[in-house]
Amino acid sequence: MDIPSKSKKQWSDIVTGKKTYQLKFLAAKILLGRLVHSVHDNPTQENINSCIDQVYNLYAKNLGSPSAQEDLNTIFG
Amino acid sequence: MRQDIKSTEETAKLIEAGNILLLAGDEGALRKLPKGKWIGGTIPYFISNAQGGQVSREKVFVTDITGVVKSIEIIQRDANSLAKVYSEGPENGFSFVVIPALSKAHLAFALNAPNYKDFGVRPLIGWISGVHLDDLGKVTPKVFNGLTGEALEQEALVLQASLLEGKVAEVGIVNLFEQGGGDILTFPADGFSSKEVMVNGEKKNFAAYIVKNRLDTKLPLVADYYGALVNISFQGIDEAEGDVKFYAPVFTGIRYKHAKPVADYAAAFKACLDNQCNLSEDRIVFSCNCILNYLYSELEGKKTTPFVGPITFGEIAYQLLNQTLVYLEVHDM
Repeated sequence: MDIPSKSKKQWSDIVTGKKTYQLKFLAAKILLGRLVHSVHDNPTQENINSCIDQVYNLYAKNLGSPSAQEDLNTIFG
Repeated sequence: MRQDIKSTEETAKLIEAGNILLLAGDEGALRKLPKGKWIGGTIPYFISNAQGGQVSREKVFVTDITGVVKSIEIIQRDANSLAKVYSEGPENGFSFVVIPALSKAHLAFALNAPNYKDFGVRPLIGWISGVHLDDLGKVTPKVFNGLTGEALEQEALVLQASLLEGKVAEVGIVNLFEQGGGDILTFPADGFSSKEVMVNGEKKNFAAYIVKNRLDTKLPLVADYYGALVNISFQGIDEAEGDVKFYAPVFTGIRYKHAKPVADYAAAFKACLDNQCNLSEDRIVFSCNCILNYLYSELEGKKTTPFVGPITFGEIAYQLLNQTLVYLEVHDM
């Protein structure tokens, strides 16, 4: 399974809170719990890009995880 | 059965056979064990399939991971070097960490883990070791490195496990507590205690707020991390100082609510598993539950099938949790 490019709109939508998904991967949920607040408090493009990097990296390194795979299907179809 | 309570003699036989073990037991029991491929933490409280919740200073709770693991490394980490715990995790495997309660490593991990480099990129599960409640303040919690026989009071031990080909690890939690319908609470600083709280945005003294509103401090504060409910348990209230202490740190920027009551933990636990979880007992490699759930929900003699394991002074599923059951599954890919 490949991970969708960082340029995909869904990554930005997740960290800015524009879209909320029912996710399964626990590490991503805990991380996003912090990142969404971080972007809410500091909505600069630099911070948004930093948060996208973090969540992208998390999924990229867990592509074998069933829950991470399920999340990527939920987010990107 | 990968997880079970055993005598020290039975456990020693497994160690001498070369098995890879995650152990929990009273300090005296762990000190009787031979060197080998194991790490352990001190605690005399367990839940088993046969007897449910129980306390024993003589027995050891044994989690045998030999059947799923290709190789291991056991690494000692202090309060500073523990920051590598995510980034140095094995590529296809998991890291299992045990940290003595109230140690420098415990405090550092609790406060800083969410900001460690590469948070969550490798599965991390573990627990905070403790003591028999009669020994609080008299005996220090410890972790044991089975390879060296050394017992540590201030450092963490990390067992990095590489899985056999075709297997993948997943960390999960079962938290029966949900946010109640009350006020939104936020805190001005990260920490294990707070005098101030923002109640729906209005600054108040937290101890006075708890007393005035008669909050049951057996129920934790609950934060919603993108759908994952994370508890912060109350340790105590100092009304004179106006200070409230917690068993895990609160963090700025996180919104907390006081939990809804759980009337019957064992019944609610069964209902939760029946309704929410898609778990196979065969895949569960390790689990542990919180001493506060054990005490407040009177789990002695009660079962939490399919979960067994040590009863701990804190649970780790990527970060420190309170009043939560954590578990590790190993799936076949």
